[in-house]
Amino acid sequence: MIVGGGSAGWLTAGILAAEHRTNSPEGLRVKLVESPDVKPIGVGEGTWPTMRDTLRKMGVSETDFIRECDASFKQASRFDRWVTGADDDCYYHPFALPNGYGDVNLVSQWQALPSPKPYAEVVSFQAQLCYHQRAPKQITTPEWAAVANYAYHLDAGKFGQFLQKFCTENLGVEHVLDHVTGVNPADNGDIASLETGANGQIEGDLFIDCTGFASLLLGRHYGIGLKSRKEVLFCDTALALQVPYETENSPIASNTISTAQKAGWIWDIGLPTRRGTGHVYSSAHTTDDDAEMALRSYIETSGGDSNRGSVRKISINPGHRETFWHHNCVAVGISAGFIEPLEASALALIELSATMISTELPATREIMDTVSKRFNERFLYRWDRIIDFLKLHYVLSKRTDSDFWLDNRRTETIPARLLELMELWRYQPPSRSDLFQIEEIFPSASYQYVLYGMGFEPEQALPRRSDDAALAERFFQENAGMTRKYLAGLPSNRDLLDLVMRHGMQKI
Amino acid sequence: MANIELLNNIDHKNLKVKIERSAELGDNVWFTPTFPQEFKVLQNHYPIVFTKNTETGQFQAVALLGFEAGENLFLDENGWNANYIPLSIMRQPFLIGFQHAEKDGVPIKQMVVSVDMDNPRVNETEGEAVFLEHGGNTGYLEQVNSILKLISDGFERNSAFIDMLMGMDLLESFVLDVELDDGSQHLMSGFYTINEESLSGLTGDDLVILNNNGHLEPIYMAIASMSNIPKLIEMKNSLLETKTPHADD
Repeated sequence: MIVGGGSAGWLTAGILAAEHRTNSPEGLRVKLVESPDVKPIGVGEGTWPTMRDTLRKMGVSETDFIRECDASFKQASRFDRWVTGADDDCYYHPFALPNGYGDVNLVSQWQALPSPKPYAEVVSFQAQLCYHQRAPKQITTPEWAAVANYAYHLDAGKFGQFLQKFCTENLGVEHVLDHVTGVNPADNGDIASLETGANGQIEGDLFIDCTGFASLLLGRHYGIGLKSRKEVLFCDTALALQVPYETENSPIASNTISTAQKAGWIWDIGLPTRRGTGHVYSSAHTTDDDAEMALRSYIETSGGDSNRGSVRKISINPGHRETFWHHNCVAVGISAGFIEPLEASALALIELSATMISTELPATREIMDTVSKRFNERFLYRWDRIIDFLKLHYVLSKRTDSDFWLDNRRTETIPARLLELMELWRYQPPSRSDLFQIEEIFPSASYQYVLYGMGFEPEQALPRRSDDAALAERFFQENAGMTRKYLAGLPSNRDLLDLVMRHGMQKI
Repeated sequence: MANIELLNNIDHKNLKVKIERSAELGDNVWFTPTFPQEFKVLQNHYPIVFTKNTETGQFQAVALLGFEAGENLFLDENGWNANYIPLSIMRQPFLIGFQHAEKDGVPIKQMVVSVDMDNPRVNETEGEAVFLEHGGNTGYLEQVNSILKLISDGFERNSAFIDMLMGMDLLESFVLDVELDDGSQHLMSGFYTINEESLSGLTGDDLVILNNNGHLEPIYMAIASMSNIPKLIEMKNSLLETKTPHADD
């Protein structure tokens, strides 16, 4: 029983229904109830590459997905003005792993290069692909397959509708449009059924709360509190504004652009038909009016019409629930927690949550307590890692132009584990052993891209066998070769999207 | 680049076309497009496989003529060594196009014949004349017209054929790993063939649909055509033999 029909509700429905054969008579029954009046928040517009696998397993056609969700290809995040705030301050965090990652210490050999070059460029061809606004594949590449690892930018509203249609028409998910007016508890404290306006009581074995900020079941019914993490991540307000392209042939960036501001940062996401921008900031460090002015001025300088449209304000209470799975109720999406979208973690967390619920779907009520305990442990760990990773972007900044940046580097605002790791990384680069869970939300390579992209300078260490200069050089050369080859062979992001619109991609 | 002109008996009054087969005239291609109605005659000579059009990503059927770009194993100094030449080769240097016209007030698509003036076959001195002295069509042009008509009809039905293959999961990619007598290896990828396992697993309904649409025969023709691959390898090997003298010679 899923309550709420935004991206969280429908992704969860799709993941569960596809795995548990909901469209066959003996399969799991999945029902989604949503209020006809509640509009989805629709802010999650960037995904991680995991979304390809998630949608493929649901049986979606990538061509349909791109056409109907106004989706485009995303290969990286680009961070502007995060280090010094200067015009030329820019680095990439690409999705492709560094070439030769794990085989040799790339970092020490990159540092030893005679002329300094950006880390991302030396170890990955993807930064150059992004710089030249290239697509991550060709029109002949089959659906879901990549030449360069990629994720998506999408229209969250359309994505929800697309998934709804797919889930109800293909996967056997039952859709109930109704108001949930109350919760009927069972004797053991579980939820027995939901009270609805027109459909009476709806019973279920497991209730998944996808009701966004309202958190109807976990928050309101069970009173599970929100653990604020504002002391670490200060941004608590967002202003969103959609921007049309200058012309219909304007290039579509194949990376998210995140531009640091005095009291936050601005996201800029290129969809085929428009850009989505927004300013996320700390209300303790600036005012709404100043934040809106900063957003409009950014739009002006990036080639948009700064006078058009009115901004939509979203208040964020940065943090997550104390626990996510309580009795027979589990929260997925914003109802479980929300944090500034600096590394597009929102949709990725939904995928991970729904996948774990699906994989470990309790066969009996007794085993549910074991599963929920495991779920809570794992997701508390994941929230902590996301918060560490986002905080890293702020801690490494050298900006001194506002209290926002200075406050961000105060030791008492930095999680202890992150402080420890940063100390360790002075002597050894981030590696897989720093992040030991199997499905780490951000792999150690991501930490490397951010650390060295932001000019983190490790100490000289004693030489090791893995400091193999010749081997590292071979990987660097190989990467340079791939960069040339892919730049020559890959179309522009816009050209590929046009071809997908016109001809579609093949399944094989 | 092609220089396409609409064929007419004024501008192209003296046009002649060289019809012999040679690399110089552009026959050195390693595959050439085909369509289901041609499979039956092709499968005697050439492997019929599928590949994606690099501009659109759409599947097209092709007759395989060699193992690498520029290699047509059926071609030598005497011409084309097979008694059937694919129609997409035979049509050169002519193309088919459509013009929007009107008939009794109703818009219609009208087939028109164009010629690529940059094609090396085109000249004014050698080969087959296209128009008669007073502007009528020569027998050669009539023959070209009928080839173009066949191609046009064929490609029109092609997408329905491909859609059905895709819909029933009847295509699979294959990698041809050819080892030649001289020890050299050729890895060919980007080609697709009929998935025989899927085909044999089809239920009655799907088979009836395929058959009623005339798709079943070309599917089996494409499967049968794969027996030409060893023949193609053989041709490549004997070519290598004539090129590389033996050490004890």
